[in-house]
Amino acid sequence: MIRVEHVSRDFGAVRAVDDVSFAIEAGEVVGFLGPNGAGKSTLLKMLCTFLPPTAGKLTVAGHDVEGEPLAVRAAIGYLPEHNALFETMSVARLLRFVGRVRGLVGERLAERTAWVVDRVELGSVLKKRVPECSKGFRQRIGLACALIHDPPVLLLDEPTHGLDPLQVVAFRDFIAELAPGRAILFSSHILAEVAEISNRLLVIQGGRLCLDESVATLEEQGRARGATLEQLVLERVRAAAPAEGSPGVAPEVAP
Amino acid sequence: MSAPSAGRAGWARGVALVCGRELGAFFDSAIAYVYLISALVLLTSLFMNEFFLTGRLDMTPLFDALGPLSIFLLPAISMRLWAEDKKSRTFELWMTLPLRPAQVVWGKYLAALALYGVFLLGTTPIVVMLAWLGDPDLGLVFSGYLGALFLGALLLACGALLSSLTGDQIVAFVASVLAGFLFVFTGHPKVVAVLDGMAPELGAGSLLAESVAALPRYEGFVRGLVELSSVVWFAGLAGVFLWLNAVVVTRVRS
Repeated sequence: MIRVEHVSRDFGAVRAVDDVSFAIEAGEVVGFLGPNGAGKSTLLKMLCTFLPPTAGKLTVAGHDVEGEPLAVRAAIGYLPEHNALFETMSVARLLRFVGRVRGLVGERLAERTAWVVDRVELGSVLKKRVPECSKGFRQRIGLACALIHDPPVLLLDEPTHGLDPLQVVAFRDFIAELAPGRAILFSSHILAEVAEISNRLLVIQGGRLCLDESVATLEEQGRARGATLEQLVLERVRAAAPAEGSPGVAPEVAP
Repeated sequence: MSAPSAGRAGWARGVALVCGRELGAFFDSAIAYVYLISALVLLTSLFMNEFFLTGRLDMTPLFDALGPLSIFLLPAISMRLWAEDKKSRTFELWMTLPLRPAQVVWGKYLAALALYGVFLLGTTPIVVMLAWLGDPDLGLVFSGYLGALFLGALLLACGALLSSLTGDQIVAFVASVLAGFLFVFTGHPKVVAVLDGMAPELGAGSLLAESVAALPRYEGFVRGLVELSSVVWFAGLAGVFLWLNAVVVTRVRS
């Protein structure tokens, strides 16, 4: 579903993503961890066609991100990090607009809108304008926009940001429900949250992928070595960090 | 149902969706109402002043005033088209929806043009008043409106391009006003004479008036002269600006 092959991305002289490769199949929920500036959002922006890679190849749902950007956009549901929404619209109009742009009309549009409103619990704010909604609701509106067309690939950048603990638990259950038949890649700073939601971890540090392992394998390794999951991940991140060290890595990866 | 980017019908549907959203954004906030009321009050005041002084049943004074006023009125519409999306980060949302950049460019442009059209429609009670008072030349009125529409189409396309180059609406407004001055005043006879006088061997004033100036072409419409060359000039230049706008929004991502 998602294939990333030797992808790099430069911003001027800075290499934000450096020779990253991985693949995600349908049914996998993959957590994408790393400190601020590690390259998580840059990689997600490349997968959703917003940024072109400097080198390498990205394929989403069988479509080349560079060659078939519209097919890729049609196949993904994307929740960006800052989750900017059209501020002048009401939630209902925003969902209807996104649904129509996604090719939904008539009964199908009504059916999908009702489904996301129910599943993401937006019923109480449907008539409100976007700026009148709380941060948690805005995050849910963004998620509803990402899901309205029932995409086979979900790219979620910090999806639990702004959600309260109960909403985080609900989100975790929701992702588990969505997972069958779908490839889900979501980024986060919080290891415990990622480990709970996902069945595989990708950790990026300084633009390079330093860990790509299933959560089950990591937990097994932890049991064998008497180490926690957190300790194992931090060990790999520190090993990948530059010699001078990378300020702020440990606290940001830790829960 | 096909995606709004597939095929001609899909392409037009995508443009219509973007246009509808943008028009909604104008009218959902106070922008459109404040703009329409203040612009109409200003323009009709200028016209009525001239009308009471001369007593002529003629729309020409309105269109004469509209030319220079367009320099400020049209950037007020175009400044937010892209700059606001960049500032509020909804630019990323637009560019990750299954729409071609050209569809978004056209949708936004047509919404701006529609708002300008509503403004022009707001001046039609003057036509009704003139027709009630006497027998104005309706052909002249029609060609004046056509000229106003073409001038608006050009300045809005230019303003949309300039808005796509910045994340600040004020910068977009000032840049569009300057571009408007270039288009309108390079065709003013006094400006042409001054520029020609500065370097007679170059004839810069006349050269600018022939190639860049919108005013002489616009005045042709106002005087009832609908020339194909002027239609092609306005439409062609607006098309170039829209194409550049699509190039800019595509390249901004990289």
